[in-house]
Amino acid sequence: MVSALYLIAAALAAAFLLGLLKEQWRGAAYAVTLAALAFMIWVSAGWLWAFALEGAAPVEIFTAGAEPPFAINLRMGLAEAALTLLINLTGLLSALYLKDALSRLGRRALAVLLIAIMALCGIVLTRDVFNLFVFFELIVIATGGLVLLSDDDHALAAGFKYLIVSQVISVFLLVGIIFAYHATGTLNIDGMAGASLGLKTGGALAFFLMFIAVVAELKPFPANGWALDIYESAHPAFSAIFSAATGAAALYAVDKLLLIGGADWLPVATGIGLVTFVAANILALPQTNDRRLLGYSSIAQTGLVLAVLGQRDILGDATPYIAFGLLASHAVAKAGLYWLSGLVAGRALADWAALRNRPLLLFAFVTFICMLAGLPPFPGFYAKWELARFLAAEGRLALLALILFGALVEAGYLFRWLGYLIKREAPAAETACTPHQATAVFAAVIAGWALGFVWGDLSGRNNLLLVLPLLFALAFLLLEWLPAWTKNTLAIAGMVGWFVLTWTEYDPLRLIFAVIFLIGGAITLLASYAAHGRRIGFYPSAMLMYAGMAMLIRATDSFDFFAAWELLTVGSYFLILRGKHSEPHALSYILFSLGGAFLILAGFALAAQGAPHFDIASLGQLGQPAQPLAPWIFLLLAIGFMTKTAAIGVHIWLPGAHAEAETDVSPMVSGILLKAGLFGLFLLLMTMGRQRLYGIELTHALLWIAALTALLGNLMAIFQEDAKRLLAYSSIGQMGYALFGLALMNHLGWLMALMFVINHYIYKAMLFLSIGGVAKRTGTREMYRMGGLIRMMPLSFIPVLIGIIAVSGVPPLSGFGGRWIFYNAIMTAELRLPLVVIFLAGPIAFLYLFRLIHTIFLGQLKDEFRRVREAPFWIVLPQMIYVVLLLVFAVVPGLALRHVDAYLNRFFPEGGLGWTGPAITSSYGYWNPIAIMIVVGVIFATLLAWLLFVNRRAQKVRQFNIVFAAERPFRPETTHYAWNFFAPYRKAMGFLVQPFVTRFWETLTDLLHTAGDLARRLYDGNGQSYAFHFLAFVVAVFLLRGGV
Amino acid sequence: MAHLAMATGFLLILVGFYGALTNRNILRMIVAFSIADTGVNIVIVAVGYMRGRSAPILDSTVSAADALARIIDPVPQALVLTAIVIGVGVTALMLAYAYKLYEKKRSLDIAKFTELKW
Repeated sequence: MVSALYLIAAALAAAFLLGLLKEQWRGAAYAVTLAALAFMIWVSAGWLWAFALEGAAPVEIFTAGAEPPFAINLRMGLAEAALTLLINLTGLLSALYLKDALSRLGRRALAVLLIAIMALCGIVLTRDVFNLFVFFELIVIATGGLVLLSDDDHALAAGFKYLIVSQVISVFLLVGIIFAYHATGTLNIDGMAGASLGLKTGGALAFFLMFIAVVAELKPFPANGWALDIYESAHPAFSAIFSAATGAAALYAVDKLLLIGGADWLPVATGIGLVTFVAANILALPQTNDRRLLGYSSIAQTGLVLAVLGQRDILGDATPYIAFGLLASHAVAKAGLYWLSGLVAGRALADWAALRNRPLLLFAFVTFICMLAGLPPFPGFYAKWELARFLAAEGRLALLALILFGALVEAGYLFRWLGYLIKREAPAAETACTPHQATAVFAAVIAGWALGFVWGDLSGRNNLLLVLPLLFALAFLLLEWLPAWTKNTLAIAGMVGWFVLTWTEYDPLRLIFAVIFLIGGAITLLASYAAHGRRIGFYPSAMLMYAGMAMLIRATDSFDFFAAWELLTVGSYFLILRGKHSEPHALSYILFSLGGAFLILAGFALAAQGAPHFDIASLGQLGQPAQPLAPWIFLLLAIGFMTKTAAIGVHIWLPGAHAEAETDVSPMVSGILLKAGLFGLFLLLMTMGRQRLYGIELTHALLWIAALTALLGNLMAIFQEDAKRLLAYSSIGQMGYALFGLALMNHLGWLMALMFVINHYIYKAMLFLSIGGVAKRTGTREMYRMGGLIRMMPLSFIPVLIGIIAVSGVPPLSGFGGRWIFYNAIMTAELRLPLVVIFLAGPIAFLYLFRLIHTIFLGQLKDEFRRVREAPFWIVLPQMIYVVLLLVFAVVPGLALRHVDAYLNRFFPEGGLGWTGPAITSSYGYWNPIAIMIVVGVIFATLLAWLLFVNRRAQKVRQFNIVFAAERPFRPETTHYAWNFFAPYRKAMGFLVQPFVTRFWETLTDLLHTAGDLARRLYDGNGQSYAFHFLAFVVAVFLLRGGV
Repeated sequence: MAHLAMATGFLLILVGFYGALTNRNILRMIVAFSIADTGVNIVIVAVGYMRGRSAPILDSTVSAADALARIIDPVPQALVLTAIVIGVGVTALMLAYAYKLYEKKRSLDIAKFTELKW
């Protein structure tokens, strides 16, 4: 193994060698620099290999032929090897990226870069505090030089502000060091730790000065204005080093100092880190400059790692796994994003839409954003899970809550940015990307995925990157060059194949969900054959969602469940984002989903109480420390799942997300994805059942939420003009019914919920496809613009007719069966009032459904639609399949339900149904689907014949008959009879559908934005203010800690 | 003696900080930081001082054998040397920056360089 001293020697030697080269030998100078950096990478990689794979012991490197305290010593261990590798790689890739600038500036700039990287390695390796100071000062000088690589002439002022603050910092550091030396007689970190510096006279104060000075290098809030200016104005390749490498080195320096400080100082580190994490994320919200935003995000992430380092008292041996998982995610992603920012000409966030036309760069961006947001399968995800597990087990819940809150805010601005990238208009200018720049960016991408694999491997859990469904979904990234129909066939084959492989493993309940997710998903995918071209981005997203769902139903461990949950969320987010106008809706979807996911994470973490593995099934038999928390766990999980089913209060994302999605996406996200939330609720109620919190039966609260969701969802649906929005609101209502059934907590309630799961999948997928087909052909989704389409699109009419009969729960279709079970179920329910509410919701559902058929298909055909064709074959085909399914399910519901009925006996032995013969019996009566079908058929045929007979001479009403002469409508649609169709109802009940919830959430986000916008005025741009901020920060920490 | 030196050192640090925070002129700020640096150096030397001992130079008057009892702690002195060198480097860099900043705006007022903020 090459001694780690060569990390420093090589860089120094190369820097000296550069001085000997002639000024004109630019190529040679550049080659020497790259060679030195490559050598350094080789050294650290060799050590990392030795420590990680061969189990080598850490090595002490003594200098000057003496041991400490008489000479400086360095240490090379696993952490050092990993960090120096990170630093050297960032250095080499940034040097590659900077080829043009460095060649222009020549050997001096190269030497400064080498010194910077060398000093960063030195900070990591050294065990001597004064040596630490020297390396920090080298960083200051090198940074002062490298900032000027930028084309932005503001960098000059930023560099000077940095120098001002660093002068103040170094005074603190030096004074601290000398008194620490005075107290302990050594400069060696381990020596100081051994001499318990804090107990010596003045030792604690000396430590405080050293500690606060090194912490200041982490850019803690609010002493970080100088760093933001550097992030904003420096060359992006330098910002990459400044964020990834300098941040990592400084964190490790703090970690070493914490050794000296001992346990007393850990809470201080956590406090500073946490405040920084939350504050920097809130301050980032109003940012529009990309590099400054990344600066805020860097500061936040560093703060998070600092907070984790401060939790080492409970994290113990897991500290490196968590801290480095977060740090590596941050470093790789941030370096990659800074490198990408060099390719984008404009500095506004929306200018990044320039990357839209470069799918590979876009993929890189998505990778980095997902890494930063801590999504699977990246290291941050595993780290987040472990962190939550430990914090919850030790009862540090406020800490956990703040971390999750900060992470959600961060996801907010990251995904908003992602939305700009994918949905905003791309500038005309081509994005130039040299091979050198591409190398740097894609090296980061590869590093990100590789780290994801390593972290999965180290996690002691299922490595997500080895799970077959996920691999299958990711494989579509490599198949993007294929035409859409090939990929579609592959996708369908994959889903059906996976079902065939696994179907024997499921119990009847899971089998129903598996059929809906996989076979149902495959059927909706048939509609995707209607798309042409390559449809880049669709299949990876869709398959990611389906992979998540496939993993969700197989998950037994809470970690697997959560990972699957996040995967399906991410996949569906990208799927929803594809809609033309879905940018804001996709954002609100992902934020609600992530918020919900964090609640689920917290719930599982609380339930596990530190156990490394926690089976979902054991939610029912919580151990002792968790038992009193059971209602809270129930609440967290239930709210988490209800964000997916869009229960009232957390429903505002759904209408836009479902309505604006593409034609074949709406049925997937509505008919299928919503069931994931129901599946979670099923599991939750199955295992935890009834819980009481402050005397309130939580299932009763759920009943109320469900009833209100059903009522308000339906009410909001009837007032929509947009057909797809109407369907979307109707989903909210329908999910309310299903939740209601579950919350009834009896046999029939659950059976009804399952019936709704199946029914809702079939008819909502069918209706969305039908309406989507109509919208595709007519170019509008506004119902009053349509009319009379029955003649032009009869095949699209049939599913709507059938669907309406099914949804509204009138005989003879399966909706009636659902109602029948429902009525039976509520006869045995404990609460009466919510029943009244949900009864009210029933007829309302009929109102909006009636409108669909009446306004779109009946009435008179508009002139402009006289040449409209039937919807494309591939969109009609799945609808026909659904019609058949619906009819079959209506006649023989027992096919699916009797097995589930039997299965439910395990949970509710009483109140099951009788399945003898064609009739189904309950304790209150019976339901004979076939007889009903015949009776209704006969009545319908008779009525139809009679109607045709009496309508022979009916007079046709023209569309604008209701317009009075000389009246001037202020908008033309107001004269249409189908516009504002239910105006009288609006007068009566409109107060119920005022957007209170939307306003609530809007106010909340506005408040956060305003807070961020006000607080960032702190950074007034004046270098003296920044120095003052640092001093104020020192005093504040000193006082808050109550002295030292 | 040592206490006096140390008090002077800290006084200089405070004077330096005060100067750097109250003077808007960049050159004055740099001078103020040099004063603070000097203060730090005096503090370091004062910490290493031991009453009644001689300079840590081994020559005919102090042999290696009795050095331990007769010389003051040489480490702070070594540290001061390093700190001075680094201080010179940083000061030089700041002066170069000041020159460039002046070239850019024809002003040395730190409050004029606030384009980057928030």
